[in-house]
Amino acid sequence: MVPRLFRLCAHLRHTLNVWERKQGLWQPGRALSSAAPAPAGKEANLGFVDGGFRVTDFPQDKVRNFSIIAHVDHGKSTLADRLLELTGAIRKGGQAQYLDKLQVERERGITVKAQTASLVYRHRGEDYLLNLIDTPGHVDFSYEVSRSLAACQGALLLVDAAQGVQAQTVANFFLAFDQDLAIVPVLNKVDLPSAEPDKVAEQMQQVFDIPEENCLRTSAKSGLGLEDVLPAVIKRVPPPRGDPEGDPRLLLFDAYHDAFRGVVCLVEVVDGSIRTGDRVTAASSGDTYDVSEVGVLVPEARSTGQLCTGQVGYVITGIKNTRAARVGDTWHLYKRPVERLPGFKPSKSMVFAGIYPTGGGEFDALAAAMDRLCLTDASIGVKRENSDALGAGFRCGFLGLLHMEVFLQRLEQEHGASVITTAPTVPYALDLYGGERMEIQNPSQFPLGVKVLGVWEPTVAATITLPSEYLGALMQLCQDRRGELTEHTHLGPGRLLLRRGPYVWYALPLAELGGDFYDELKSLSSGYASFDYAEGPTRRASLVRLDLMLNGLPVDALARVVHRDKAQQVGRAMCAAMRDKLGRQMFEVAIQATASGKVVARETLKAFRKNVTAKCYGGDVSRKRKLLERQKEGKKRMRRVGSVDVPQEVFHALMRV
Amino acid sequence: MQCSVAACVGTDLEVPTSAYVHLPFCKRKCFYCDFPVVATGSQLHSAPVQDALQAYVALLCREIAATQPVGGAPLRTVFFGGGTPSLIPPPQLARVLDALAARFGIAAGAEVSMEADPGTFDALRLREYMALGVNRFSIGVQAFQQELLEVCGRSHSLADVHAALTAVRDAAPAAWSLDLMAGLPGLGAAAWEASLVQALAAKPDHISVYDLQVEEGTPFARWYQPGAAPLPGEGAAADQLRAASAVLRAAGYEHYELSSYALPGKRCQHNQVYWAASQPYHAFGLGAASLLGARRFARPRAMRAYRAWVEAFVAAGSGVPGGDQPPDSAHEQLLDYVMLRLRLSDGLDLAHMAARFGAAPAAAAAAALAPHVVTGLAEVAAGRSALWGFRGRR
Repeated sequence: MVPRLFRLCAHLRHTLNVWERKQGLWQPGRALSSAAPAPAGKEANLGFVDGGFRVTDFPQDKVRNFSIIAHVDHGKSTLADRLLELTGAIRKGGQAQYLDKLQVERERGITVKAQTASLVYRHRGEDYLLNLIDTPGHVDFSYEVSRSLAACQGALLLVDAAQGVQAQTVANFFLAFDQDLAIVPVLNKVDLPSAEPDKVAEQMQQVFDIPEENCLRTSAKSGLGLEDVLPAVIKRVPPPRGDPEGDPRLLLFDAYHDAFRGVVCLVEVVDGSIRTGDRVTAASSGDTYDVSEVGVLVPEARSTGQLCTGQVGYVITGIKNTRAARVGDTWHLYKRPVERLPGFKPSKSMVFAGIYPTGGGEFDALAAAMDRLCLTDASIGVKRENSDALGAGFRCGFLGLLHMEVFLQRLEQEHGASVITTAPTVPYALDLYGGERMEIQNPSQFPLGVKVLGVWEPTVAATITLPSEYLGALMQLCQDRRGELTEHTHLGPGRLLLRRGPYVWYALPLAELGGDFYDELKSLSSGYASFDYAEGPTRRASLVRLDLMLNGLPVDALARVVHRDKAQQVGRAMCAAMRDKLGRQMFEVAIQATASGKVVARETLKAFRKNVTAKCYGGDVSRKRKLLERQKEGKKRMRRVGSVDVPQEVFHALMRV
Repeated sequence: MQCSVAACVGTDLEVPTSAYVHLPFCKRKCFYCDFPVVATGSQLHSAPVQDALQAYVALLCREIAATQPVGGAPLRTVFFGGGTPSLIPPPQLARVLDALAARFGIAAGAEVSMEADPGTFDALRLREYMALGVNRFSIGVQAFQQELLEVCGRSHSLADVHAALTAVRDAAPAAWSLDLMAGLPGLGAAAWEASLVQALAAKPDHISVYDLQVEEGTPFARWYQPGAAPLPGEGAAADQLRAASAVLRAAGYEHYELSSYALPGKRCQHNQVYWAASQPYHAFGLGAASLLGARRFARPRAMRAYRAWVEAFVAAGSGVPGGDQPPDSAHEQLLDYVMLRLRLSDGLDLAHMAARFGAAPAAAAAAALAPHVVTGLAEVAAGRSALWGFRGRR
């Protein structure tokens, strides 16, 4: 016990020193007066359950809501794991990246669904309830990030001590900064041989105006310096500011579907408290629900019967579908309306794609998988759709391209569905003769043989930050993608950014963000560019429908809308990809691309000449049979367009052209 | 193999009357070859090689003796393939034939074929084999160009080819076949035509024309890319096969199987058993594949593994090689049937197929072939359907 006590004393002395420097920030008296003896008979950091805690043990000033924000791979999930271990929430050496529950998250190293864990941590003899609200890590999910941050009062800004400040660090910093969150900077991986914590601390000072001495230095992997993290959270992050006496007001910041319990809503109790049996009303819809269970995530769900002001936990009502649980919504008690919290906006599909089963008879299985997955992701729009080439399927709307990719990966991994997807498209508005206007979400809806007076496409208002030496390359990229520079500025002295890099604002067609835009942006800027976008106005553009024809028959699933100037280039690329991937048939196949009905590119695929000429004696039969079986397996996955068998890889490959 | 429909229907009624025997020894392994082969080098007559050869024959004979005869019908065809079977000393071949005769019986008038490569035999040697009962030789000429023989890594020279052809004519077996390969590296149309003319000049009863396959794991696979120089392009290789068909058919040979041509009445009885896919057959030796009890079973391709397998087979006493494995599914049998029969000019007999597998598969096959009748790749004649890719119609 002696060494532990000694360490604790040293620790206290250190934290006091820090405290004395920082105490001017907020409510100093309260924290200082809490140097009372530890609750009798309780060992520190057993976790909420084993420690026998109740939510009423944690008045507002003993609650901290924070998240960890970081560039990808800077160690966010590992740090979260360590904090969970440190506070007894999970056992040491358990499943790595505990909060990243989805396989897709572990594989891609990005967090898709925000997760939450409530930690109980003893600091200077007092037990604190620290709610760690994990955030998704990609621009497609920036709405999820901002709504997760909305439930926080502070954030750990985690930076890799070897890599330094990266684009996403900047983007996330400003997200948190804009929401007035207290920032606790943490330099991670300081034990790496290549780590330069001093330089990175200096960079933090330059870029974010964060005093160098404020930076904590840790190694989440080895545990070095971790003991300073939670005390810093307690000291630097203010407690929630809500009114415990006011009418209950809840911020719904996430919701997920649980197979056994229906929709589980994650909330921050902003004002008042919430109990099992309360009737609550969702401000956006006016729908009323009975609260059947209230609890905390520690990190497994633990029913507590109530949540008090400032606390973060889950609420289960009779909601069956996540669509009814609108994230960002304000909940209040039935007939006790309150002022709505800012932040609610319905999600809007910006990218559409057709999703089809790989096998013709697998539609029902796909439909079931889609239903289940959509329960957990309310931001996806789904409609039935039929394609001549691909049969029955769905047209789905997504927040963005990554959102789509993640959805598809989850569909395959978690629900075992095997799908063909069409090239993603954005919604277009068409002005037709006679003043009629039509909206299309599928290129094959683009009318042919009808006079189209104008085509309007959605744009985004893109904000790009990067070091100024990359500005030229950026402009070239944006010009290639039909972007229009709207404004560009060097940062004022107040907000120094990455080697005095500029902010650049571009109006970019949303459709041009597909393909390799992110990759290009990252590579042209050596990874320094950070990119964010907001919805922009629609813009008139010279767009045409591009079709791919096989022996004169259009493949509807491959239709797209492209800029007139790029029609030939894209058409050629598609024809070439089709020629390479189609595989020869028993007859010659003409592959043509047509823009608004006019042929712009052509390839010819020669017929098979001699695919059965190998000799075949007794011993060769099995080998031949295997070959045929393999070909047949391939055939199963083929789609027929007229008399041409089209392997499904073609649809995958042409999506990328 | 012109059995009546009724006699062929139903696997249970069928009795194996054919045997394949693999004799894996070669002087050297050709660069395109992926058969199980034991290369002897120049030391063919050394004691170790001869001992290995005898040991192999002993192993073969044990396998033959342990194999259960089914139905009691004597063998109607025997085929010695390799390797280079003509490397085997006649007394050793006699042991194998004796073992076959003792176990299964060999029918009077049975076709006993043997592969023989130029440079390994003379007329006397062939007559010795004939005295043991061999009545058909298949001569592995492959090319009439010295440089092509070298490119292929063949152990014989062009002079050996001519000597071999003289020897086989001198020995005058009941039938003989000449093997040629198309699609060899650097083989042009003119050289190919010349090869065909020379092949015809030798007046064989049967000619096999093989299209070179670049098999994985062979030196050719390391050196060449199918369809890319120095291999003929795909179109050129197809033209060679088409030229062979035209030239050989004009000379009176039937193009009765994709890679086989025969003067009337001289089709290879043994190989037709494979292609008819309705009769079982025995197989013995390294890597050999048998079809017994509706099981295609391939023996191990490595000598040590094959030896261990024979030991276990003899010890188990089950008598049916591969008998511990499940029989091929009806689906696999059907696939073999369609795949193999479509190689034959006699084609796929839809009535026979319906009797054997049911009306639905036959109807499905007819429907699948119908579009190719339109394009001329297949034709329908009195209920039969055959692929006619080599008739030069296109």
